[in-house]
Amino acid sequence: MSLGTSFGRSVGASARPVLDLRGVDKSFGPVQVLHGVDLTAYPGEVTALVGDNGAGKTTLVKGIGGVHTFDSGEYLFEGRPVRPRTPRDAAGLGIEVVHQDLALCENLDIVENMFLGRERSNGIALDEAAMEEAARRTLTGLSVRSVGSVRRRVSELSGGQRQTVAIARAVLWDSRVVVLDEPAAALGVAQTQQVLELVRRLADKGLAVVLISHNMNDVFAVSDRIVALYLGRTAAQVRTADVTHRQVVELITSGRTGDLGLPA
Amino acid sequence: MKAGPSPEEIRRHNLGTLLRFVHLRGPASRATLAESLGLNRSTIMALTADLTAAGLVREELPRRPGRRAGRPSLVVRPESTRVYVLAFDVGVDRLAVARVGLGGTVLDRRSADLPRGAVDPNELVTALAGAARTLVRKAGRDAVCVGAGVAFPGIVRRADGRVVFGPNIKMTDVVLGDLLARRLGLGVPVTVGNDADLGALAEHERGAGVGCENLVYLHGDVGIGGGIIVGGRLLGGEEGFAGEIGHMIVNPGGRACACGSRGCLDSEVGERTLLDYAGRDQSSGQSGRDAVRAVVDAADRGDVAAREALHRVGTWLGFAVANLVNVFNPGMVIFGGTLRDVYLGSAAQVRSMVATGALAAPRDRVRLRTAELGDDATLTGAAEFAFAEVLADPLQVLARLREPEGTPVP
Repeated sequence: MSLGTSFGRSVGASARPVLDLRGVDKSFGPVQVLHGVDLTAYPGEVTALVGDNGAGKTTLVKGIGGVHTFDSGEYLFEGRPVRPRTPRDAAGLGIEVVHQDLALCENLDIVENMFLGRERSNGIALDEAAMEEAARRTLTGLSVRSVGSVRRRVSELSGGQRQTVAIARAVLWDSRVVVLDEPAAALGVAQTQQVLELVRRLADKGLAVVLISHNMNDVFAVSDRIVALYLGRTAAQVRTADVTHRQVVELITSGRTGDLGLPA
Repeated sequence: MKAGPSPEEIRRHNLGTLLRFVHLRGPASRATLAESLGLNRSTIMALTADLTAAGLVREELPRRPGRRAGRPSLVVRPESTRVYVLAFDVGVDRLAVARVGLGGTVLDRRSADLPRGAVDPNELVTALAGAARTLVRKAGRDAVCVGAGVAFPGIVRRADGRVVFGPNIKMTDVVLGDLLARRLGLGVPVTVGNDADLGALAEHERGAGVGCENLVYLHGDVGIGGGIIVGGRLLGGEEGFAGEIGHMIVNPGGRACACGSRGCLDSEVGERTLLDYAGRDQSSGQSGRDAVRAVVDAADRGDVAAREALHRVGTWLGFAVANLVNVFNPGMVIFGGTLRDVYLGSAAQVRSMVATGALAAPRDRVRLRTAELGDDATLTGAAEFAFAEVLADPLQVLARLREPEGTPVP
């Protein structure tokens, strides 16, 4: 937070979605993976994307991040139709995806990783001081104190610290949407808790966060909305405050629960 | 007809507001202060001059040159190393004492374990004062202590800081503040507050609840405490006893509570219950926050007993949150102390209970969050409590402290 913009801190989400997918389809050859999927993400909110293995979560996220394009359907970003064809296109719009493998370079330090491929120069040489300062400021802004020096190599960092660096890299670029694919998958409980709190802080700063997770406690701990995928379709988009654990599990496993979900 | 405030009252109010701003939000340029406080720059300059003369703030050039052309605006910084308070956090099984500078920086701290069970007030005060004296001795010669605050895990009367009852620490009817003030001999009063109340204050001013004027803070230690902020102020009730959420009955006829009742949130969700449910043997010294965290960790690894324990505890916690949401319509509910871990380990259950138990209207906007200050929430709250007097009337308090004993203050 920049000092003095206001005494307090602005909170709450605005009503306009920043990311709005309507009826998107995706096939790989004869295999249709996504059937008319809807997903809406709002600034200031964490939208949890849940579904069984093979439900289409990763395919959907790759489409959002420009790794591949959707075959049909609408992709709206801040209300405008867009069609990112590469991750760089998506990043240009303000959409960053943190994949499960994190894509960090072990032999480089934190600053080098955060600016990888987008280094800053002062005309002739790399502007190391400016990059170091920006990296430090981003980490401080996220209340991250656990990584130590920003000049540490990634190979020296723990799993949770690496996840933190990958997330910080995503928000360094004034992103509007950050998509996190199973950020807590390989972490111990203490590190998972820290990553969850970091995810929450991202949204509280006004970003739209899409979180893929299999852990229902994690989903309920930080999400504002839940999008459940079932066999490549959107079973339901619900507010987390309105549903129970049992309902979400039923949406994941059978695509419906009571009046919610896909028609029988 | 009542006359408006006198110029002197306005000045005192403005001095307090400016000092409070840099105390809570950090160093700020004169330009920022003028804009944020809605005062013109010459007023800011005059106020800053007064606070500088009293040794409360100092002005300096910004550390990093700004990008804008022209002479940079001076930055007003709190005198964090010269002006400090003593903050005491009395836990059921440990003590923490810190020297906290203006601006909220912890300058130095000590902690010690406390044996569980009945505590002799005199021994407690001796331990606290001893640690405090070490901290004071290490402070610079020109440093001045402007207050002291204690977070206590029990029921505390607002008017005189009397500890009326401490169910988990077995202490009854002690004017802890006076005892400690006499033993410290620093010439500052010692304010005492309920630990969860102070945790609520700290999270509201420096943590997850900044900008949220209506919040409920739930604190887990051995028992469960609560603090409620309504309209930006701590809810005290008639005598300051309000907010004992831990003794809200969630399960009539349930487990016996140390307060004498049954089925209190404290007894259904507290540390002993969680460890009991998880089959942890508490006689072998497995207790305290590390034991609670070990249960959450075990549940994450798939331990069935630990998962079941968190599920049961999460159910009662969810009932309590649903009731609180219905009664107070808070913008935020914050889980601190060991409840941070318990909440993160049982969130699906807690929120399911809230979804079915709370009314849709107040449930709609409530945000459930973990304490940003972590285990330091109550200690930070004690420090903020101690700063209250100097922030309300900075010059008067400094003048009183700088005058030798007994000299009338002009």
